[in-house]
Amino acid sequence: MTILVAEDDMIMLKTIELRLKKDGHTIIISQDGREALKKIDELSPDLVITDIMMPFSSGLEIIGAVKKRLGKKIPVIVLSAMGQENVVLEAFQLGADDYITKPFSPNELSMRVKRYTSNPVTI
Amino acid sequence: MHGYVFIVFLKIDSYRYINIMYVFLLLLLLLLTFISGYTIYKRRVEGNKKLWQQSIALIISQAIFFTDEEDGGVDITYRIEMLLQNSMFRNCVINELIQAKKNLSGSSTLNLKKLYEILELNKDSFKKLNNIKAHIKAKGIQELAMMEQIKYLKPIFRLTNNENELVRNEAQCALVCFYGFLGLRFLNVTAYPISQWQQIQLLNKLNEVKPENFEVIKKWLQSSNESVVVFSLKLATFYNCYDVYNNIITCLQSLSLPIKLNALEYLKKMPKDDTAEQIINHYSFENKIYKLAIIDALKEIGNENQISFLLKRLHDKDDDVKAAAAKCLSCLHPSGSAFLQTHLFADENPWKAIFLQIKSERAA
Repeated sequence: MTILVAEDDMIMLKTIELRLKKDGHTIIISQDGREALKKIDELSPDLVITDIMMPFSSGLEIIGAVKKRLGKKIPVIVLSAMGQENVVLEAFQLGADDYITKPFSPNELSMRVKRYTSNPVTI
Repeated sequence: MHGYVFIVFLKIDSYRYINIMYVFLLLLLLLLTFISGYTIYKRRVEGNKKLWQQSIALIISQAIFFTDEEDGGVDITYRIEMLLQNSMFRNCVINELIQAKKNLSGSSTLNLKKLYEILELNKDSFKKLNNIKAHIKAKGIQELAMMEQIKYLKPIFRLTNNENELVRNEAQCALVCFYGFLGLRFLNVTAYPISQWQQIQLLNKLNEVKPENFEVIKKWLQSSNESVVVFSLKLATFYNCYDVYNNIITCLQSLSLPIKLNALEYLKKMPKDDTAEQIINHYSFENKIYKLAIIDALKEIGNENQISFLLKRLHDKDDDVKAAAAKCLSCLHPSGSAFLQTHLFADENPWKAIFLQIKSERAA
């Protein structure tokens, strides 16, 4: 499975990359929203994991773009420190498939990703 | 003659002017050199930090996935080993470790702690703890607390009573981080006031831990430090401590307004059948703020037995007390706000205005 991870914190990005590579996935990394959108267009990943607060384009814009503008059936997992109800609801309204709040466990993220490997999302 | 004097004067003046200009230019040059030197230094530091971040991210992300078998299995290259000699680099690693610990949960955080200890960064944090500057000292405490370095408990405990508020606050928070509720034992010895903000910080930290040994709250309620008593009252309210009820009733006799107001907050949350009567026993000796707080508390814990007391308050000389009593009556009386209309002075001001206000509030 090819997974795009958009996260501006280098350590979190490397951590997620290492954990998911251990599970046998191919990882595309991106440190800002604009670059992530470009890579989604070019490389068509099977799953997107995105933070919300990122430079240039926010995670919410990425969800909107993946689900509406690009019309792609790509599951999106949001990984953010913003746990406020309105932000979580907005993410789900835009089409996010899962929402994980920081602090998070990389092992839990790995298990959640596995769900999409065995049951790909159909829209 | 006059012309000659004028030329000499002009010459002296222009020499002075040129000297001043030289001094000014020299100062300007020095300033520009300093600014450009500082800018180059800052850029180099920032550039280094960006380069370092790559290396730090690699070490930390590897460490997060330590297993018991590969204890200490971080790949520390010669370059990183050299970098670790640099105190600024070590400081950067500490900051990134703390940031990562905030973002992660589960076994990964234990591995971050392990890395912190393997790289002996705890020694760097301890050095900060012994620094003269308060903000550096506070940073050291914060780092040791975040990385759960309980072995430094003794020096940190001593700082809970430090004269500097920043240091004191960090040390108190560190103790709660280490031992949860038991970490509050600094309340036994603290001589300085605990600010409102610090009380909120501590309660916030306690939110994550389970409470133990409420008996100790009784001791703190008798402290000579007013802020310790106020904080203990907040703790009792926060944890719904029923055992300290009698001690809190005693607090109503205190001379301190914050203590009495916080005791009322507890009693509003944990009332007994006779609590309302016990509160109003203190009413006549009190100031306006506390009187209003008592009437307000009756709205929640009062019953029909306090109606006669409230009716008397309707004739208080202070209009705020009249209004508070009327509001409380509209809550406690079985007929609600309709009861107020039957009052003898219902058609006279200020009662008329107060009753109308309450009626419209209740209708809304």
